[in-house]
Amino acid sequence: MGSNRSMHLLLLLSVFVIATCGLIYELVAGTLASYLLGDSVTQFSTIIGAYLFSMGIGAFFSRYFTKNLLSWFIQLEILVGLVGGISACLLFLLFDHVASFRIVLYLLVGLTGTLVGLEIPLLMNILKNRMEFQDMVSQVFTFDYIGALLASIIFPLVLVPQLGLMKTSFFFGILNTAVALVVLFRFRKEVKWAGYLTVKAILVTGLLVAGFIFSDKMMDFAESAAFNEQIIYSRSSPYQRVVLTRHKDDVRLYLNGNLQFSSRDEYRYHEALVHPPMMHHPDPRRVLILGGGDGLAAREVLRYPHIDSITLVDLDPAVTELFGGNTMLAGLNDSSLLDPKLRIVNTDAFQWLRSPHQPYDVVIIDFPDPSGYSVGKLYTNTFYQLLQRVLTMESVVVIQCTSPYVAPKSFWCIDQTMRHTGFQTLPYHCYVPSFGEWGYIMGSLRAPADRGDALPGGLRSFSRESFAQMRYFPPDMQAHDLPVNKLNNQALVHLFEKEWAGWQ
Amino acid sequence: MFTRKEFLQYIALLAGGAYAAGCRTPGAYDHIGGSILGASAAAGHQLRDGLSVSPQKTIRTGVLIAGGGVAGLSAARKLRLSGKTDFLLAELEPQTGGNSLSGGNSITNFPFGAHYLPLPNPENTALMDFLTEAGLLKGFDKGLPVYDELSLVYEPAERLYRKGRWQEGIIPQVGLSPQEHDEMKRFLALMQTFRDAKDSSGRHAFDIPAALSSRDPQFLSLDALTMEAWLQREGFRSEPLRWYVDYCCRDDYGAGIKTVSAWAGIHYFAARRGKAANADASAVLTWPEGNGRLVQHLRRHSHNQTLTGTIVYRVQTEGNTVLADCWNYQTREAMRIVADHCILAMPQFIGRRILGETPGPQFTYAPWLVANVHLRELPVDKNLPVCWDNVIYGQQSLGYIYAQHQTTDRRPAKSHVITLYWPLDQLEPADSRRKALQLQHRDWVELCMAQLEQGHPHIAKLVTAVDCWIWGHGMIRPIPGFMTTEIPGTPPRVHFAHSDLSGISIFEEAFYQGESAAMRCLG
Repeated sequence: MGSNRSMHLLLLLSVFVIATCGLIYELVAGTLASYLLGDSVTQFSTIIGAYLFSMGIGAFFSRYFTKNLLSWFIQLEILVGLVGGISACLLFLLFDHVASFRIVLYLLVGLTGTLVGLEIPLLMNILKNRMEFQDMVSQVFTFDYIGALLASIIFPLVLVPQLGLMKTSFFFGILNTAVALVVLFRFRKEVKWAGYLTVKAILVTGLLVAGFIFSDKMMDFAESAAFNEQIIYSRSSPYQRVVLTRHKDDVRLYLNGNLQFSSRDEYRYHEALVHPPMMHHPDPRRVLILGGGDGLAAREVLRYPHIDSITLVDLDPAVTELFGGNTMLAGLNDSSLLDPKLRIVNTDAFQWLRSPHQPYDVVIIDFPDPSGYSVGKLYTNTFYQLLQRVLTMESVVVIQCTSPYVAPKSFWCIDQTMRHTGFQTLPYHCYVPSFGEWGYIMGSLRAPADRGDALPGGLRSFSRESFAQMRYFPPDMQAHDLPVNKLNNQALVHLFEKEWAGWQ
Repeated sequence: MFTRKEFLQYIALLAGGAYAAGCRTPGAYDHIGGSILGASAAAGHQLRDGLSVSPQKTIRTGVLIAGGGVAGLSAARKLRLSGKTDFLLAELEPQTGGNSLSGGNSITNFPFGAHYLPLPNPENTALMDFLTEAGLLKGFDKGLPVYDELSLVYEPAERLYRKGRWQEGIIPQVGLSPQEHDEMKRFLALMQTFRDAKDSSGRHAFDIPAALSSRDPQFLSLDALTMEAWLQREGFRSEPLRWYVDYCCRDDYGAGIKTVSAWAGIHYFAARRGKAANADASAVLTWPEGNGRLVQHLRRHSHNQTLTGTIVYRVQTEGNTVLADCWNYQTREAMRIVADHCILAMPQFIGRRILGETPGPQFTYAPWLVANVHLRELPVDKNLPVCWDNVIYGQQSLGYIYAQHQTTDRRPAKSHVITLYWPLDQLEPADSRRKALQLQHRDWVELCMAQLEQGHPHIAKLVTAVDCWIWGHGMIRPIPGFMTTEIPGTPPRVHFAHSDLSGISIFEEAFYQGESAAMRCLG
């Protein structure tokens, strides 16, 4: 009978689609886990294991479905479509909000796996009365494995590069619900609760289509083009665009597209930022960090056990919360932002300095580069004068000052500005592979002098010997006769723009 | 009243081509709130129409200052600093400040009028003393004043929208033909010559206060012709230059090159010789609330001696005293103030009437619109971000200033205020004033939006409210003959103090006139 034949062809086609979807969800979960958590071998292996095991659980429970099999199958397709379809989106969105991200990940993998595991046994039960057993087994598994092959080929070659993970998972969710709708339509006379199931299938399909359309908004994959690495987090706070990327074990933070650190070599940058001012103060106890919401400078400060307190003033709560709350990122800064000695103040540094505070022994200034008028104000003589309100004659300040190699005029303009406001300065620079040659200026109201105290243990690049070299500036990192940077000239922003123009 | 035709004609004049009725989407501005604000025209008109009630009480004071604008406040300050504390200041409005009035919301302050002070000339020590007292001048470095850098206009200060792009500065520079460029250069060089020029007695050709300028006929003869005639005579014909000079005249005088004298037009460019140790000569002092900041410092000297809501409607002398009849329209109380001296710190068109006289014909005043436009977000433009002063080439309005430019806070504001300045000089002042006061809020919204949309096509959806302040008599207009026409004297013990005496409506002149009047009281 023709209609019977087309019916079982349809069911076998469903097997094919289901199999493709099932493997895609598995691949999405595995890829996501290795993006977000790193260590791809472990992630992939455990995700696949958990997924297959859950499929087994699903297969086991299939025995309890004895009546209304077609309805249950449709029900199941809708559910798989929903759970699998939104899984990638859910994981991306939860990444920075959930302390134990791993648990959420494996729960979701387990749920998807269980549901997928139910599919084939259920379908075989439906087909068993319509086909010869031998034919059925052979055909079902053939389509199953062809689907798996197709999935494994198009996933890395087409889907990830073209759609990205979020759209891929929405797309295959839609395929699952499409199977539900087609089967529902074709077998509407045999299916119980057809009306209810139709409404449900349409609703879920609508949701997934919306997700597919708006996933670009939820996470701007267009940005991927600007970065060589996979974006694992991106959010627009009211202040800036915060993007985290990972490539193998290298995690990078970008603010408004500018690299803030690479986890591979940030220790070089932060050791050179923090330890020189610490060794130029006789007894640093009260430390102020302006900027540095990633907690990496604070991590270096906390190597000194006699520190009493650290005040960290960073504009953007989105950054301090991300680096305080997320386990993976807290691993980078040794949970410095959770240290009881550290107090976070989320406000504008300029405004903060305008209200009275107790003086600080060491001030570490880790602002973004002066790439615009707004941040340029934090490098002006007015700011440095204000800064002196929280200093004593003993206090030591250090400022990250862009690259003296790429932008020597900018670097020495900051030096000139500090000197103009009464600082005695001690400029130095350090090589940070991901940044290039990087500059710092230490300042104090009297000539900074090394107090000779022992440096803390565990430093990987900074030492007194390396510091001696850092202080030497070859001719290609020098510039002379530079203006003082002021609110009413923003000389530094103009210099910075010109000098970096050729490099970016 | 307005006929429909008159209304449309006036709107078309104001818009100057930037408005095409019926072209915009209907309802495009329906979401924009706000209202029309303005000096108490009604209370002022009571005065014009004659107010006479019998005083219920008499107050005795040394000096009565009638008018609490910058001139009146400066007079009060001068009296106090000279040890004369026996004075009263009567102000018609609920608060003092005059043209330097400002407002504010939870996010920012913003000006309703004057909004900046150029660097004072080196000889203007009186003004520098005031700035020192206000903490705005921090000291001197090698003889040059050091100004508070939080108050000097931040970079980027100015931009001009011309030929579809924003360029830095207000002088048209990008896309000029070689001839236009040369003419601009020649003009600026000539202005520098005037700036350096002195007469045989050593007076500067052009100075601030204007009263200190040279009276030499070679300069004063420039008062006989309009700025336009002078440009013509000197062979300045290029369009960008004419626009620039016209823009500057309208900015400072509320009237363009066809109206103001060549003396005044050149004064704008040649009278400022201010320098600073820590800024360019072109720098200005400015604050989110504009010159409201300066007023706030001035007010301290007359704080407890100010009667607000009080109209002085008649002043006469009797023996060695001045009798001033006042009406407080808040308490509805009439009183007579008996003073040794009276400073009429108000424009001539009011002051002369109070004295029962008629103001001289040279005293004409430009009406203005100052619109505070509240935005959810700032427009984002190519080339340059929003600057302090933002000008759109060839417009009837003078462009807008951004109140929050003078902040160091990097936290993004939830709302922004830009202030659009618009001299209503498209008709003769009296006609324009009468018509402007008849326009409805929605008319002004459409007019303002049409101006802004020339530089920011999609700005309407960012705008939440437009508050329109109409200054009926916003600025004295230095028309030809103004500088050479004698101002009639006053009764003994009565002294005028207002920038309109100088013919130039700027803070420095009002300050100078206030101090001069105070000194005349002190003998």
